[in-house]
Amino acid sequence: MKDAMTNTPFGPEDMARRKKRAIAMAVILAALVVLFFVTTVVRLGGSVAMRSL
Amino acid sequence: MSDINAQLAEIPAAESGGQGTVKDFLALLKPRVMSLVIFTAFVGLVAAPGTLHPWLAFVALLAIAVGAGAAGALNMWYDADIDAVMKRTAKRPVPAGAVTPSEALGFGMVLAAGSVLVLGLLVNVLAGALLAFTIFFYIAIYTMWLKRLTPQNIVIGGAAGAFPPMVGWVSVTGSVDLGSIALFLIIFTWTPPHFWALALWKKINEDYSRAGVPMLPVVAGAGETRRQILLYSLLLFPVTLFPALTGTVGWLYLAANTGLGLVFIWHAWRVYSLREGQEAEIACKKLFGFSTMWLFVVFALILAERAVGIPSFAPVLG
Repeated sequence: MKDAMTNTPFGPEDMARRKKRAIAMAVILAALVVLFFVTTVVRLGGSVAMRSL
Repeated sequence: MSDINAQLAEIPAAESGGQGTVKDFLALLKPRVMSLVIFTAFVGLVAAPGTLHPWLAFVALLAIAVGAGAAGALNMWYDADIDAVMKRTAKRPVPAGAVTPSEALGFGMVLAAGSVLVLGLLVNVLAGALLAFTIFFYIAIYTMWLKRLTPQNIVIGGAAGAFPPMVGWVSVTGSVDLGSIALFLIIFTWTPPHFWALALWKKINEDYSRAGVPMLPVVAGAGETRRQILLYSLLLFPVTLFPALTGTVGWLYLAANTGLGLVFIWHAWRVYSLREGQEAEIACKKLFGFSTMWLFVVFALILAERAVGIPSFAPVLG
């Protein structure tokens, strides 16, 4: 693993930028999960509780 | 593995990509334009008859904002060549080399598709379709086709900027009503005098001449631009009062905008009649400043009427 890192053409600044972009992507994906979940709950509304079992 | 790394190392950083920071990618979204889009779309949501769950209204606004950002990123991808030769835009991420054109294209396309799908599937299909058309109109019709072809480019670009309140409205009602068309027409008619006043004041025409973009002041001259500023300002007055006929607004909006519209025309008349010297420059600067404030106030008045509970007039049209 260490060898792979030392062979990489990306310098420390590149790696820092990549890390920040990766964190931003992770935050966006997590926000999308929340967005879809809450929207599903809102759109279903009371229908879930009222459905026949 | 080492062969691949050696090959990667030979590619110049600017070509290989991966140099952009999060801030660069945010800059691709044109945050200032986005803030105006969010505000006008919000007014569209509030002004529309009917109700929408607050969470869905939030989702609609988010999708519209991201769609606007996607259009900004795609615009910067296509216009990178002219952005590079204009002082005002040379520091944008693509011409500055922070983001490659293909990264901007990919970023814009993913956001465009994502925002349209989210709005279409989570709010309503027509709103999603209208957002898709807005992005298509801004990129294909304005940026790719007419911006570099006709001196009326600002008029066409203004149409793209006028869609957000309509998308907001359609998110609530699921239909394109006369009320939403009235909001569209306000921004559409406001854009030419607003932008041409800036073009005359800031003397950004040199930039556009170098880039080969046929801006009206460059192609037709300052005199014709002043004439068209006055004509659009005269047209804007009845257009601003149109929402009263569609039953969208009440007496506060009508009274305030009758006064504000006359002040707008007075500023436009000053631009038209003062042709030379510092006075002429100040007239353009004042019209630009006033028109910026004017649009905000016109839309804020609609919000204020809803907040205070002022009833709208009975619709004469629609």
